[in-house]
Order: sequence, then C-alpha cells, then structure tokens
Amino acid sequence: MKSSLSVNHLLGIKEINKDDIELILKTAEHFKEIINRPIKKVPSLRDITIANLFFENSTRTKLSFELAEKRLSADVINFSSSSSSVKKGETLIDTVNNILAMKVDMVVMRHPSPGAAVFLSKNVKSIIINAGDGTHEHPTQALLDAYSIKQKHGNIRGKKVVIVGDIMHSRVALSNIFCLQKCGAEVMVCGPATLIPKFIYQLGVKVEINLMKALQWCDVANILRIQLERLDNYEGSNSNYFPSLREYTMQYGINLDILNSLGKKITIMHPGPINRGVEITSDAADSEHSIILEQVENGVAIRMAVIYLLAGKAGQV
Amino acid sequence: MDLLIKSAKIVDPLSKHHGKKMDVLIENGILTSIKPQIPEQKCKTFKCPGLHLSPGWFDMHANFRDPGMEYQETLETGTESAMQGGFTGVALYPATHPPIDNKAGIDYIQSKTKKFLVDVFPFGTVSKGGSGKELSEMFDMHQAGALAFTDDKKSIQNANLLKIALQYAMGFNGLIINFPNDRTISRNGVVNEGKEGAETGLRGIPALAEELMVSRDLFLAGYCNSKIHISTISCGKSVDLIERAKKSGLAVSTEIASHQIFLDDTYIKIFDSNYKVLPPLRNADEIKALIKGIKNGVIDVICSDHSPEDEETKRKEFDDAAFGIIGLETCFAIANTVLRKIIPLEKIIEKICHNPRKILGLEIPEIIEGKKANFTLFNPDTEWIFSKNHIFSKSKNTPFEGVKLTGKALGVFNNGQWRECK
Repeated sequence: MKSSLSVNHLLGIKEINKDDIELILKTAEHFKEIINRPIKKVPSLRDITIANLFFENSTRTKLSFELAEKRLSADVINFSSSSSSVKKGETLIDTVNNILAMKVDMVVMRHPSPGAAVFLSKNVKSIIINAGDGTHEHPTQALLDAYSIKQKHGNIRGKKVVIVGDIMHSRVALSNIFCLQKCGAEVMVCGPATLIPKFIYQLGVKVEINLMKALQWCDVANILRIQLERLDNYEGSNSNYFPSLREYTMQYGINLDILNSLGKKITIMHPGPINRGVEITSDAADSEHSIILEQVENGVAIRMAVIYLLAGKAGQV
Repeated sequence: MDLLIKSAKIVDPLSKHHGKKMDVLIENGILTSIKPQIPEQKCKTFKCPGLHLSPGWFDMHANFRDPGMEYQETLETGTESAMQGGFTGVALYPATHPPIDNKAGIDYIQSKTKKFLVDVFPFGTVSKGGSGKELSEMFDMHQAGALAFTDDKKSIQNANLLKIALQYAMGFNGLIINFPNDRTISRNGVVNEGKEGAETGLRGIPALAEELMVSRDLFLAGYCNSKIHISTISCGKSVDLIERAKKSGLAVSTEIASHQIFLDDTYIKIFDSNYKVLPPLRNADEIKALIKGIKNGVIDVICSDHSPEDEETKRKEFDDAAFGIIGLETCFAIANTVLRKIIPLEKIIEKICHNPRKILGLEIPEIIEGKKANFTLFNPDTEWIFSKNHIFSKSKNTPFEGVKLTGKALGVFNNGQWRECK
C-alpha cells in the first residue's frame, strides 16, 4: 500500500483515485483509535497553520474540521462570511492571498460557487481542501460516508447504495456517487424528477422516482436534507420543485413503518443537519437502522487523515 | 495606397477569375488590373506562398464596448482585432453601456469609424434600453444607418413584443435579430445541460431553452410574414426547425459562432471561465448536427460573437464570471480548421463574406477590374499556434491560446487602406 496521495489538494473525489481513497480510510482508522484514547491529541502538525475559510454557513463541517485540526496540534484561524467575498467587493483570490500572506500552509474552504476550490488551487499557492463548493463536491463527507459504510458492512464493494432527496442541489450526492463508484458500490439516486439532473444517468447511476422501489433495492439509504436555501431564486421568484414540504414528506419521507415494511434491514445515513419530520422522522433517524451519529464521529477521523496526508505536501504546491 | 499582389488564387464565385492564380494591381483604392502576370511597379509588392484572395470578410456579430466600457474594447482596438482576423467589415451589436437604442448612438459609431479601413455597421436595440419592454425608435435608427435590430443576448422574452417588432420593422424593411434563449427554462444556467453539467454541479442550460424559442420565433415570423435572423444557435434541433421553415418559404436566416463547432462541453470540467459562453458549449452530437447544418446550407453565416471581457469580469468563480470570449482574430482559422476537409473553401468564405452582406442588404465586393478594392488575403493551409501576440483586442478572454489552427489571414485592403496581419 502506498503512503502518499496522488494529489496536492483535495478538490473533489473526481480528482483522486481508488488508492487515495483506501489510503485515507486506512489512515482514518488509525486516527479514530487515537480520538478514542483518554488523550485525544497527537503532535503531528505542530508546525502547520490552517485557515478555515467559510463563505457559506456551516456548523458541523466547520466544527469537525476545526476539531480535526486541533487534535493534530495545528494552529487554526477561522474566517466566516455568510455572503461571498465578491459581494463585499473583494475577490476570492485577494481574500485568500491576504490570509496566506500571514503565512498559512493550508486552506479549508467552503464556498457557494461550484468549482471555487479548483479555481482557487490554480490561483493561489497553498494546499486547498474543499469543504463543499456549491452544488459541486463535498469530498470529506463522501469519504466519511464510505468509511461509515465500510465500518458497518465490512466492505463497500458490491453494496447497493441509494441517495434520496434533492440530488440536483446536492454536493454530497455528487461526491458520494464518485466515491462509492470508485470503491465498487452500485449507486442509485431517488427523488422527485424535478430534483434529479436529467443527465445524471450518464454518470452510471440508476435513477428511481419511487421511494419504495429504491428502498427495496438498496442495502444502504443515504437520506439528504431538503436544501431550501439552495433552491434557486430566479428573477425574484422561488422555483417550486415541489408544491410543499408536506407533499414531499408524503412521497419521499422515511419513517420506521416504511423501514419495517421492507422485510429486510437497511442502513440509514444522513449527512445532517436533519429536518426531522421532513425527509426522515425521529423514530427512523434514531432507530437501530441509523448510523447517523457514527458518521459524525468518523467525520473527525477522516478529516484528520486528509489534513495529515496533505500536510506532508506543504512544500510542493 | 497602391499595391501589387503577386500570384494569389482568387476565391470569388462571382468573378470570372475565380479559382485562378492572378497578379492583382490596386491603384488609388481601385482594382485596376487582374492578370496572370503584372510586372513589378513602383508601389509595394506583396507576395507569399499559398496566397489566396477573396472579397473582404464580414463579421455579422461582434461586440465592441464603446461607448461605456472602453476598458474592454474601443472602436479602434475592436477594428484592429477585426483587421488582424481578416475582416474588412463588422456589424456591431448594441452591447454597449448604455445599449444603443437611439439615433445618437448610431451616429456616434458611424462618425467615429468613418475613416477606418474596416466598415462598421452598428445595430440598434429592438426595445428601449434593451430591456424587453417597449419598442425603441427603430425607424429613426434605421434612417441613421442601423441595418438591423436586436436585444442581443437578452433575447426578447415577450412573444407579443417580438411580434410587434417584426410587424413594425416591415414598414422600412428592417431586420430583427433574436438570440433564442427562453429564460424561463435556462434561468440561471451557466453551462450545457448534460453529463458534464451533472458532473460539475454547474447549473445547466437545456437545449430546450433554445429550441422552444427558435420554434416560437419561426411561428411569429410566419404569422407576420416577415423576415427574421436567428443569432448564434447551438443545437441540432434548431437546425432542423430552421431547415423546415426555410423549405416552407420563410425568410429566415441563421448563424453560428465559429467556436461553437470547435469546442465541446467537456472543457468546462476545469472550471475555466474562458469556456463560459452563451449559448453554452454543447456536446459532440450537437456539434455534428451544426456542421451538417453548415454543409447543407441551413446555417448561412459563421460569425465571431466577439465578446471582450476584462480580467475583473472573467478571472472569477465560474458562476460569477461573465459569459463570452473574443473571436475576431480566430474566427476564420477556427472555422477553417474544423471545416476544411468537409466543405470547399469557397463555401466557408461565403459564410464569412457574402451571406452576412446579403442578409443585411449590403453590396458584396467583387474581385473584378474597375471595382473598389475590398479584399482579404489569406492562406488556408498555414498552420500556426494562436498566442498572446496574436491578440489585438483590448481584452484577452480566449480559450484558444496555445491552440494549433489551420488557415490564417495575411492582409486586408479596403477604403484605400492596406493592413498586413501579424
């Protein structure tokens, strides 16, 4: 097994290969053991400074990254702005270069614009970790989801995974598709046709608009949040991809009765935050089917692994 | 200015010299002699292996940003870039600030470009301010010299406004140009809706947005019994719709931007905004259909859709960057690189020289003794790599830097002036 990633940044799962994914999961295994020790911290990255730049609201991803960085003993600075830097008059490149001028080694960035991390990696000299770029990718989420599936089922190869919900506006869906396919799983997307990109089948995923059929097919169901903030606003009018949350829940909401009616046990995942009672009810989210809290725990280990492996490339970008 | 051109193959189906290698003498801006051999004169002689000479090329779709955004392109830099691309005439879209929607705007461009080598023909907007609400004073602009009217990439969304514009312009034989893009469908899209769009998470512009508006516009023109020009199409179904309309006798014409048949949407994967254009780069199947449309004559015109944007509007996150690329310097070379093995050279020249002038009702220059000299010298076989040194536009937004092209303009002559291309 190799000991170094093939990339200098983590911009998306699309850009990394199967060996990279395996190396990250393997490294995360090690860190997961560490964060369960009484002393949860290692001195690995004492000489590294990391900037967390969040141009879009985030609670758990930001906390998870910050915790991962601190457990590795890196110095951390945080920058949050709910509106993109452009609206404030400063360009993204300027914002980041200003922060890098303060001698920062690595940037973790969340941004509302697809491709923002790729764009940044071409324009500034720093290691970039994509913590979610618009509707493009959220690679660490996909890695922690893969890790969680592996932990629960022993392996990912051959597993049938359905992603349910707003596929069109989800970066989690896209990263999960790339990651699971690279690991040998079969992937299906399920949701109202209005929220599924018309050409997504060309990425080699199955498309199903009937929830029950999707659940009967799968081993694992990854339930996405309805991202009300991402439904696009065009000329002042919100687009109605579905008439009401109530109707969405009637067709695509998951509850314990549904899970019990399947005649088999499937694993329920959710990248959070959950809209309880919308895409999933509490009795299902908190049931034995669910590995939602394991996902959160694994998130820290995965992010430690990614940061640790990329920090080794600090002089190379 | 006098000039002797040695051994140039004439490409002009309207001339008896078509297809022959000739020496051409220009005196006082007039083609005074076209013969197999003309002895050297006192004036400058131009010779170059593989030389071809055709009537001066005409770009039917360019955007200069003068007045209002002169930091992106002025009339001077824009026409320089046109000359370097082999054009002796350009039609300017009203993509200025404010948009040209009155006689004063038309006058401004005409008076400023009167003495240029390049003939400049400004278009006016269909609606006031290009806002798509009420008609602009098209007749007044027409009298001042506006050859056509368009709301540019905004597209006329309101069917009734287009209907009224078509009917009204018939009174003075004005041409209405509409870019087909139903924004209720394309919305905030930035790339082609397809596999690449799904893979990048970039919002898609479905081909449907174009096809719906092409059909609507053809119905409206049919209803009004008027002519219409549909600008920069990008989809196979649009070609089919226009082909059918032409066969039924409708006076419809259409164009494509030359980059549309060179680049497909796989380029967007690197999130480089120099691949962000409107209409978006489509997939290989659509490109095939467009080339077929060029071959069978449904597509009348190949244009540059020259859209200068400065670094501040382009070097940005893909979503926030402006649409458009410059194209005058590369327009012919790109078209020729793609089409040279598919259609005869004179068919390419027809689409960047004769057809735009026909559609706009302009006189077509001829390579005949006694006529005013308005021609382009070029070599269709020159292989060259397009670089920064070839850009004369004030803006540098092009994805073609470092790309190998075949065919190059070598010089232009018009209005008694000669310019050699770099």
